[in-house]
Amino acid sequence: MGELRIALQSLKMSILAKLQYRADSFVATLAVFLREATGIIVIYLALMKFDCINEWNVDEMLFLFSLLFITYSIIVVLFADLRDFSCMIREGRFDRLMVRPRGLLFQLISNNADVIAACGHGMLGLVLFVVSAGRVGIHWDFLTVIYYITTVVGGVLIQGGMFIIFSSLSFYFVETNSIRDIFYWNMRRFAGYPISIYNKLIQVIMIYVVPFAFVNYFPAQYLLRKPDMEEYPEIYLYIAPVVGIVIYMAAYVFWRISVKNYKSTGN
Amino acid sequence: MRVYLEFAFKKFQNRLTYRLDFFMGIINTVITIIVFCLIYKALYGEADSIDGITFSMVATNFVISLGLSGAFDFDEMFLQNKLHDGSITNEFLKPVNFKLRMLSENIGDSIFKIIFNFVPALLFSIFFIDFCAPKSILSIILMIISVALGYLVLWMISFIVQTWCFWLFSVWGIVTIKNVFVNILSGTMLPIWFMPSILRKIVSYTPFESIYFTPVRIYLGEMTGKDIFYGMVVQIFWIAVLYLIGNLFWKNGVRKLVVQGG
Repeated sequence: MGELRIALQSLKMSILAKLQYRADSFVATLAVFLREATGIIVIYLALMKFDCINEWNVDEMLFLFSLLFITYSIIVVLFADLRDFSCMIREGRFDRLMVRPRGLLFQLISNNADVIAACGHGMLGLVLFVVSAGRVGIHWDFLTVIYYITTVVGGVLIQGGMFIIFSSLSFYFVETNSIRDIFYWNMRRFAGYPISIYNKLIQVIMIYVVPFAFVNYFPAQYLLRKPDMEEYPEIYLYIAPVVGIVIYMAAYVFWRISVKNYKSTGN
Repeated sequence: MRVYLEFAFKKFQNRLTYRLDFFMGIINTVITIIVFCLIYKALYGEADSIDGITFSMVATNFVISLGLSGAFDFDEMFLQNKLHDGSITNEFLKPVNFKLRMLSENIGDSIFKIIFNFVPALLFSIFFIDFCAPKSILSIILMIISVALGYLVLWMISFIVQTWCFWLFSVWGIVTIKNVFVNILSGTMLPIWFMPSILRKIVSYTPFESIYFTPVRIYLGEMTGKDIFYGMVVQIFWIAVLYLIGNLFWKNGVRKLVVQGG
């Protein structure tokens, strides 16, 4: 339980640090909220004209988007240090963690939370969820609620695992941000929409290479059952929460192997 | 004049050193274009044209406006950083106009990104995306002039927001919010043709339409003859108005700075 106390204390510190500059933090949070909402406002306005995209209507699209933002807001609380890991290595701040009596990955996850991004993305995710969840015809019972919660956890583990893998690469290469930008940020742009609108290559990447499809598309399909699901094996609906555990475990093993390679940038 | 060309050229050369960055830039631009084209392909479905707008017109709009917006992204924290580290005072000692220097550096940067970022994305699009062929050589030349004017409109908007660093702790938030407005209202992510009619009406009274949409319409031949002339006059009008506003903020800001310095 000592670990949990440290983690909570550290989260409290991240929040207090941001409260130092209240007005600025507020504007920054609003800015993140609006920046992330841009893509949604744009598709919302487009759907006023076109009604639906591959038979997904506005509310269903908002529901699909909401999963992406809710999971990301948890990611930046836990994995903020791993997101900025290559910078940490370059500045030698990683060495500091090595002399502390706790596990490295635990420290990285519990230290530093990007509070502003968490609030911006989180608020957006919640707004989208609240607006859409009642209108997409999901029958919310015990099973669907459990499915939803595990799927959010799974989505966090998938993306967290990806961040751990990209961070581990920092032990081998100096510059890893561009690899991450291509595989994470660029692929994430495809993820807001039903993957059935893309060609086969992009679909394969989204399912098997950077499995964003398991963060929002398949979970949303489990709850919504749109006709474009026919193209994919039905089992994907049920394994979505499990994919996260597998990826996270693989990432953890890769991290343990890679961290042995670490040579400080300092002298 | 030569000094400012030199500034622009230095910035251009600077960019050349970071080769990885420009590969990343190309990938970024291409992926953005692909995402939007595929979304609209799905939205169009079987339809050939909607409200007289064909899918290839939409695709062309995305390639030009998204492609250019990738190239037209300035370092909008420049002024604030100069102010925070105090180096802005040295800038005033130099015998160059600071605003012109900022503009020429940004132009140098953007020209680099047009050549190494926009042009490859354009070539890619011609092969893989249903891209409208130009109507004539003249329409290309007129479009390029209009793009340059649109660039100045965008720059003036950015400059106004940047000068607020004299009063705000950080302009990052306000710059980001400004970019949200530009992205939605200038037609880069949502073709202006498909905006709800009220919004479209409002946008026609703002400078946003002058940034990318006027050049796109000239290229597509949606604007001809007198309309092109009229469109460019509107662009120049916005440049002038925004320049005056920006100058007002700038003058007051600089005065405030001098007072603080004692």
